[in-house]
Amino acid sequence: MEALRNAFDFSDFPKKDLVVAACLAAVLLIFPLFPHSSFAMATMIQFLMFSIYGMGWNAIGGYGGQVDLGKAQYVGIGAYTTAVMLLRWDVPFWLSMPIGMAIAVGWSFVIGYPLFKLKGHYFAIATIATSLVLKDLFEVWDLVGAARGLHISPAKYPPPDFLRLIFREDIYYYYVILGFFFLAILVINWFRHSRLGFQLRAIRDNEDLARSLGINVHWAKIKTYALATAFVSAVGSFHAVYIKNIEPEDTMSLDISVLIALMAMLGGAGSLWGPIIGASILIPLKSYLKEWLGAKAGLIGIDLVIYGVIIMLVSALEPRGIWGIVERARRRSR
Amino acid sequence: MATDVLVSSLVAGLMIGMVLSLVALGLTIIFGVMDIVNFAHGEFLMVGMYTGLLVAQGTGMEPLMTLPIAAVVGFVLGVMCYFFFVKFLLRGPMVAQLLGTFGLMLFLRNLALLFFGSEDRAIHHGLLVGKSLSIGMGVMIPATKLAAAALSVASFGCVWLFINRSKTGKALQATALNAQGARYVGIPTDRMNGLAWGIGGATVTIAGALLVNFWAVNPYVGLLFTMLAFTIVALGGFGSVPGAFVAGLVVGIITELPGLWDFVSISLDLRWMSKVPMTSFKYTWVYLAYFVIMLVSPRGLFGWKR
Repeated sequence: MEALRNAFDFSDFPKKDLVVAACLAAVLLIFPLFPHSSFAMATMIQFLMFSIYGMGWNAIGGYGGQVDLGKAQYVGIGAYTTAVMLLRWDVPFWLSMPIGMAIAVGWSFVIGYPLFKLKGHYFAIATIATSLVLKDLFEVWDLVGAARGLHISPAKYPPPDFLRLIFREDIYYYYVILGFFFLAILVINWFRHSRLGFQLRAIRDNEDLARSLGINVHWAKIKTYALATAFVSAVGSFHAVYIKNIEPEDTMSLDISVLIALMAMLGGAGSLWGPIIGASILIPLKSYLKEWLGAKAGLIGIDLVIYGVIIMLVSALEPRGIWGIVERARRRSR
Repeated sequence: MATDVLVSSLVAGLMIGMVLSLVALGLTIIFGVMDIVNFAHGEFLMVGMYTGLLVAQGTGMEPLMTLPIAAVVGFVLGVMCYFFFVKFLLRGPMVAQLLGTFGLMLFLRNLALLFFGSEDRAIHHGLLVGKSLSIGMGVMIPATKLAAAALSVASFGCVWLFINRSKTGKALQATALNAQGARYVGIPTDRMNGLAWGIGGATVTIAGALLVNFWAVNPYVGLLFTMLAFTIVALGGFGSVPGAFVAGLVVGIITELPGLWDFVSISLDLRWMSKVPMTSFKYTWVYLAYFVIMLVSPRGLFGWKR
C-alpha cells in the first residue's frame, strides 16, 4: 500500500513543474487526434520508447552513478524472447513480455554480481564487453535466426490482434507504449521514494560513507540494475512486435546502449524528468536530421556528425544536462 | 601434418599482436597521464589508415613511406582534441568524460562516412605487396605483415626510449604519478596532457598506416580496435607501457584462437570440434578475456593505477 502511495506522490516537485507535466501528458494523450504524418507518429513512438529506456538507465546510471553502456543487450533479450516465442509457439505478447523480463533480470543477476565488483571506467567497459559477447552469440545462434535475424509477418495474424499486439495502424502501438510510459514514470517515482532509491543516491554521493552506514552497497546496486533491466527488456519486447524485423545489429549494437545513456545524460541524469527531456530533444532531432540531410540531400552520416558534436558540447560545457541548466536558472532567480 | 597450422597461427598471432601493442600504447599513455578512457581511440586508428591509404594512392608513394605523414596527422589531431575538447571534459564527472569521448568517436566515424563512403578500401600497390617469406614447414609469412610487425616494434621502442630517457618523458611520467605534485615542481601539466594526447594520436595513426597495407579500411573499423586496445590495456595494467607490449602479444594470440582450435581438432581428430563455428567468435574471446581479466586481477600484469 505504501509503495502505491509513494508511486503517486509527486508532492516534492514545485507546483509549476507539475502543471507543465500534466499539460504535456494531456498533449500526449490527445496527440493522435490531430492531423499528423505517419513519420511524426513513428517519431513519437520512438520518443516514448527511448524515454522508457532512458528512465531505466537513469535508475542505475543517474541515481546510482554507475555508467552502464551495455543496456542494448537487454533490449535484445526482450525483443528476441518475444519474437522467438511468437514465431515458434505462438505465445501472445502479454505472456512473452514478462517471460522476457524474467530472463533479462536473471541474466542481469548473473553478470551483475561480478560486474559490480568493478568501478568507474572499468565497470563501463566491462558492460560493453558483455553486451558485445551476447551480440556475437546471437549472430551465430540458429534458433534466433543468426545474423539474418527474425521477421514477424503481420499477414499471418489478422490485425488488429490485441493479444499478440500486431496492428496495421501505428495509433494502437502509440497508446500501448504511452500506457507503458505513464507506468514507467510511476515506477520510477516509487523508486525515488523507496529505501533502495535513497540507498543508491547515498552510494553515488559517497560510496565508502554509504558502506559505513550499513548499506549493502553491492546488493543495492545489483537490485537497481535488475530494475533498470526490467524496464529495458519490456520495451525491447515492444520493439519486436512494433518493428517486426529483429536483427542483432539493430537491437544490440553499442550505438543503442550509448543512445540510451545519452537520453538521460542530455536531459539531466538523476532527475525524474531528465530522460524524458533528453529523448524529446534527441529523438526528433535524430530522425528529422536523418530524413532531411541524410535521405533528401544525400549526405549519409551527417546526422550522426551533428549528433556527435552535440554530445561533445553537452559533456564539455554542461555535464549536468538541460535539467541542470533549469535548476541553476531557478536558483539564480530566487 | 597439423604443425603448420599451429606454427602459422602462432606466428600470425604474434605479428598482429605487435601491431596491436602499438595501437594500445597510446591508450595506456593517455589513461596513465590523466585517467581518461578514450573511446575514440579506434577512430584515430581509422584516421591513420585513411591517411596512409589516401597519401599512398594519391601520390603513388610507397605505402611504408607514408608513416611520417600519418604520425604528424595523428599528433596534430591528438593535440587539437586535447586543447579544444578533452581539457573541458576533465572538469566534469566521469559520465561526461565517457560519453564525451564517445561523441568524439561518433563525430570522427561519421565524418569519414560522409567523405569516403562506407565501402571497404585497401592498398594494392607497393614494394611488399604479394611477396612472402617462407620459414619452413610450409609456413608462409606475408611481407606486409612482417614489415608492419617490425616497424611497430621499432616505433614502440622509440616511444619507450623517449618516455624513459628524455627529460620531457620524465616530466610526463611525473605528471602521471602525481599531477598536483608535478605542478608544484614546475612541470606544465596542461602541456604534458596535450603531449600525451599527441603521442597517443601519433602512435595509433602509425599503427593505422601500417595496418592498412593488409587490412581493408572502412569507417566502421574503429570499434573493434578500440575494444582490442581496451583489453590489452586491461591485461597489461592501465597506464603501464611495458604491460601494453606483453599484453598486445597475448591478445594477438587470442585473436588467432580459431587456428589453434583447428590444430587441436586436426591433431586429435575430433569431429565435433571442427563443426564449431570458431571464426565467427574470433573477437568474442577478446571481449570475454577483458571481462575475466578485470574480475581476476583488476590491476593487470604490470598495473600500478587503480
